[in-house]
Amino acid sequence: MFGYYFKLGLRSLRRNPLLTALMVLTLAVGVAASVSTLTILHMMSGDPIPEKSNRLLVPRFDNGPLDGWAPGDEPSDVQMSYPDVANLLKSGQGERRTALFGIAGPLEPPRKDMPAFISSGMAPTRDFFAMFDVPFLHGQAWTEADDARAADVVVLGRAMAEQLFGDADPVGKQVRLMGSPFTVAGVIDHWNPRPRYYKLVGGNTFGDADDFFIPFATAIRHEADNNGGMNCSSKREPGYAGLLASECTWLQFWFETRSATDRRDLQAWLDNYAGEQRKLGRFKRNVPARLYDVMEWMEELKIVDNDNKLSVWLAFGFLTLCLVNTIGLLLAKFSVRASEIGVRRALGASRREIFRQFLIETGVVGLAGGVLGLVLSFGALALIGMQGKEVAAMARMDWQMLTMTFVLSVAAAVLAGLLPTWRACQVTPAIQLKSQ
Amino acid sequence: MEIRPILSALLRNKTGPLLVALQVALSLAILANAVYIVNERRAVIARPSGIADEHATFYITARNLNSDGPEQRLATFKREAELLRAVQGVASVANVSQMPLSRSGWNTSILLDQRQQRENASASMYLSSDSLVSTFGLRLVEGRDFLPQELVDLDEKTQDRAPDQVILTKALADKLWPGASAIGKSIYFGRSVEGMSSRVVGVVERLQSQSAPIEEKAEWSVIIPARRYGDTAAMYAIRTEPGQRDRVMKEAESALRKSSATPMILEMRTVDQDRQTRYRSDVALQWMLVTVSLLMLLITCSGIVGMASLWVTQRRKQIGVRRALGARRIDILRYFITENVMITSAGVFGGVALGLALNQLLVSKLEMARLPAGYLVGGALLFWLIGVIAAYGPAWKATSISPATATRSV
Amino acid sequence: MLRMTNLSKVYRTHMIETHALRGFEIDVREGEFVTVTGPSGSGKTSFLNIAGLLEEFTAGDYILDGVNVKGLDDNARSRLRNEKLGFIFQGFNLIPDLSLFDNVDVPLRYRGFNASERKRRIDDALTKVGLASRMKHYPAELSGGQQQRVAIARALAGSPKLLLADEPTGNLDTQMARGVMELLEEINAAGTTILMVTHDPELAVRTTRNVHIIDGQVSDLVRKTPSLAQTPVTA
Repeated sequence: MFGYYFKLGLRSLRRNPLLTALMVLTLAVGVAASVSTLTILHMMSGDPIPEKSNRLLVPRFDNGPLDGWAPGDEPSDVQMSYPDVANLLKSGQGERRTALFGIAGPLEPPRKDMPAFISSGMAPTRDFFAMFDVPFLHGQAWTEADDARAADVVVLGRAMAEQLFGDADPVGKQVRLMGSPFTVAGVIDHWNPRPRYYKLVGGNTFGDADDFFIPFATAIRHEADNNGGMNCSSKREPGYAGLLASECTWLQFWFETRSATDRRDLQAWLDNYAGEQRKLGRFKRNVPARLYDVMEWMEELKIVDNDNKLSVWLAFGFLTLCLVNTIGLLLAKFSVRASEIGVRRALGASRREIFRQFLIETGVVGLAGGVLGLVLSFGALALIGMQGKEVAAMARMDWQMLTMTFVLSVAAAVLAGLLPTWRACQVTPAIQLKSQ
Repeated sequence: MEIRPILSALLRNKTGPLLVALQVALSLAILANAVYIVNERRAVIARPSGIADEHATFYITARNLNSDGPEQRLATFKREAELLRAVQGVASVANVSQMPLSRSGWNTSILLDQRQQRENASASMYLSSDSLVSTFGLRLVEGRDFLPQELVDLDEKTQDRAPDQVILTKALADKLWPGASAIGKSIYFGRSVEGMSSRVVGVVERLQSQSAPIEEKAEWSVIIPARRYGDTAAMYAIRTEPGQRDRVMKEAESALRKSSATPMILEMRTVDQDRQTRYRSDVALQWMLVTVSLLMLLITCSGIVGMASLWVTQRRKQIGVRRALGARRIDILRYFITENVMITSAGVFGGVALGLALNQLLVSKLEMARLPAGYLVGGALLFWLIGVIAAYGPAWKATSISPATATRSV
Repeated sequence: MLRMTNLSKVYRTHMIETHALRGFEIDVREGEFVTVTGPSGSGKTSFLNIAGLLEEFTAGDYILDGVNVKGLDDNARSRLRNEKLGFIFQGFNLIPDLSLFDNVDVPLRYRGFNASERKRRIDDALTKVGLASRMKHYPAELSGGQQQRVAIARALAGSPKLLLADEPTGNLDTQMARGVMELLEEINAAGTTILMVTHDPELAVRTTRNVHIIDGQVSDLVRKTPSLAQTPVTA
C-alpha cells in the first residue's frame, strides 16, 4: 500500500500545479532558512574532537588583586600568568600537558625572490601535537630535549611550507624567524579546526591556520611578544622579565587526562595548588580553581554568540510560519478532494486507510520541499559565506546537516498535514456521493 | 454592517480563520522585533569613530629587520614620520599605539582616587607623541590640545609612569564628573601604573575605542601624550587630503622602503577597512533579518489571499443566494473585506501579545533591548492594511458570481 | 404583476449557440398562483432566473410590477430583487453557518431596515411558518421540510410582491411536501403572487394556472378555475 499511496501522492502533486508549487516553495524556504542557520550553529558549536573532548581540560585560576573585588564576583581572567604556567608544566599532572601563546614575527624566506613578511604562529610545548591529534606530513614534533633547552626548532604549517619550499621535504632546512635561524623539525598537514578550540582567546578564532609552531620555552627565550590578549590587573615591572614575573595573564594551558574520571583527581590537585598559592600570598582572592573540558570552555567563552542564537531562533520562527501556511494550503488541497474521499470510503476504504493515504501524500510534499529546500540552503549558505573567509568556513554543509534537511522537511510537512488529514477522514461517504 | 452574523459564522468554522490569524500573529510578532533590531544595529553601525575624514585616513605598521638599539630605532621612527609628511597629499601624520575600530589595542582602569577599591571606568588608551587631535581631526569641545613640550618619547624599558596631562573624550568626562567641567581635574590610572595623578587639559567630542562594542564604554577613551619605544615596529596614522588616500598609500609605501637600507615589513590598513571588518557580522545580521521579514510578509500575504480565495470558491452557492436575495456587488465585497478585517484583527491582537512575549524572551535570554511600543503599533497598522489589500482580489472575484448560481443544482 | 413580451435568451459559448427561450410570452396577474412545468432542458430554469432578475435576457421586454427591467444596472436589479421578490429554492439554500434567525435576517440587512424592524419581521416570518421557537438553531439541526419552511420565512420577511419557487418540494418526502404546499397556498390566499416551477404534475393541478414550456416557448395555456376546496390526499 505504501508504494501505491506514494504514487498517488506524486500524481496529486501534478494535479494542481500552482497550489503544489506554492506549498513546496513555502516549505522549502522555511526549511532552507532553518537549515542554513542551524548549519552555522552546528559548525560553530559542534564537538571538534569527540574522541577526547572530555579528557582535554583547561584550568582557570583567579590571581587578581583584592581591590575592586567582592566575594562572588566572576573571575575576569580567562588566561594564566607565567608563574602558574611554569608551575603547572613542572607538575607532571595529567597524562600530557601543554602551555601555549600566539606569536607573530618577521619571517625571512630562504628564497631570495620573496621579501620578508610578518608571519603568525604559536608557541606550545611538544605535547600539544599529540594532545590535539595534529597530523604530520613530513617529520615530526620536536623532542622533549628541544623543549627543555629552548632549541631553535620550528614545525611549519603545510601552506607555509609549500610557500617557502614548494613540494620538497623541508625537514632539516633552516628558516629565519624573528631574526634567528630555526631548523625545521616537521611539517603538519592541512589542519585548521574552526573554531580554533585550543586557543580560543586572542582572536583569529575562525581565521587562517597557524603558519608555524616553535617551542614555548624558545619563544620565551626570544622574548616574543604575545600576539593575543593580555590583562594586567596589578603592578608590572618594565621589560620582558618583569612580564614573566608579574601576575599579568596572557598564556593558555591544557591538560590531557587518561580517562574522563581522572578529572576529579586533577581538580583535587588544582584545589590544593590554589590553596598553596593563597598561603604564599600570590592568590589574594578566595576563588576556587576551575576545570573546563572542550565543550564547557567553548560555552564559557561564548563562541556561539547571541547573534548566532538569534539567527537560529528567527529561522525557526520563520519555519513555524511556513508550517502554519502549509496547513492552510493542505486544507485547501484536501477540501476539494472531498468527493474522491467519499467514493473511496464507499468503495471500502477505512478511516485509517484514508489517513495513511493522505499522510503519505503530505510526506511526498515534504520530500519535494526537502529537495528544493536543500538547493535553497546551499544558496543561502553561499550568500552567508559572502561575508568573509571566516564565515565561509563555517557555512559549509556536512552529511549530518544534509540528512537533517530532509528529516526536517518531511517532519514539518507531516506535522502540518496532521490536521488536514484528520479532517479528510471525517468525510462521510453518503453526503459526498449525493451531490454531483 | 453585519458584524455579528459574520462573527458567528466565523466562530462556527474556526479552523481556517484561526490559521490565517495565527500567521498574522506570528509574522507581526517576529517582524516587529526584527525591524527593531535592524534599526538598532543601523544606529550602532552609523556611530562615528571620531576620526573626521575616515575615507582619507589610513595607518602603517612599519617594522625594520635590523639590529639597532632602542635609541637608534627612535631616530629611525622620527625620520620615517618626516618622510611620510613629505609625501604629496599628506595632511597630517602621527605616531600612535592603536587605531579605533581596529580591534587591537589596550584598555586601562581610570580611578578618581588612587585609594579607592573599584575603578570608575575602563577606558581605551591612545598613546602618541604627535598630535592625534590634528591627525585624527578630533573636535575639541573643552580645553586645548597638548603643547609641544608636553609630548614625550619614553623608553619602554623604564617604568610605566602616569602622564602629567591627558585628554579625555566627552563621554568619559561626563561619566567621571557628571555635569561639571573636566578641565583641570585629575585622574589616576590603575594599579599597574605608578605615579601621580594626571591632569585633564582637553576634552574631545568623540574617539571610539579599538573594539567599539555596543555599550557606552565604546566612547570612553583617553589620549596620553607619550610614545613608548623599544619595539622593532612603529605605527603611523596618516590623514591625507580628501580623495588622495589610495595614491598616497602607494607613495608612502615606496618612500619608506626606499629610505631603508635593510628590508622592511610594511602592513597598511585603512580606517574604512577596519570599519567594514568591525561591523561585518552586524551588517550580515541586518540582511538576514530584512530578508526573512520580507519573506514573512510575502508568505502571510499569500496565506490570506489563498484562504480568502478558497472560501470564495467554497461558498459560491451561498454568494449566489445572497445576490438572489438582493445583495448588490458592493455588499458582497464589503462582506468579504469585513470578514477578513475581523480575522486580521484577531491576528493583530494575538501578534501584539506574542510580540511582547517574544521580546521578553529576547531580553532575558539574548541580552537584547526592550521593544518600543511604536514598532508593534506600526506593525499592527501594516498588517491591517495587508489584510484588506490581500482580501481585495478574492473579494472582487466573489462579486462577479452570478445570482443565477443559486438556482443551479450543483 | 409580471409581464414578458417576446422574450428570448441565447447562451453563447465559443461555437455553440443555445436558445433557451424564444419569443416567450407570459402575463401573471397579482394574486395568481402560477405553476410552470416542462420537461428537462425546456428552459424552465432560464425562465425563472430571468423572472427573478438573476440573469439578463437577450431580447424582448420584461415588466415587473410596473418597472421595465431592460436597461437596469446591476445595483438597481439587486434592489428590485430585494424589495419585490422572494425566492424559494429546491435545495433550500440556507446558509449553514448562520442560525435560523440570521438566515431570515440576510435579505433584511440588504434592505436597510433598522435592528428593531428587522427583529419584528423575522419574528413574524418565523411564526408564520411555525418555527419561531427554534430561532437560535442551525439549519443542520432541522429536517428538510423544516429547512424549506425557514427558506419560505426568509422569502416572506421582506413582504415581497412576488414569490418565485424553484421545485420547492423536490427534495422533500410526501408529507413534508404537502405541508409546504399548504403553506404556500396560505400565503397566496393572503395576497402574495406565487410563480412556481415544478415538474410534478400533481402540484400543477392544485394551482390556479399552469404554464407549460417546451423548447423555450410557452406551449399550452390551460386556464383553471380557482379551486374551491382542496382535500389533502391521505396516503
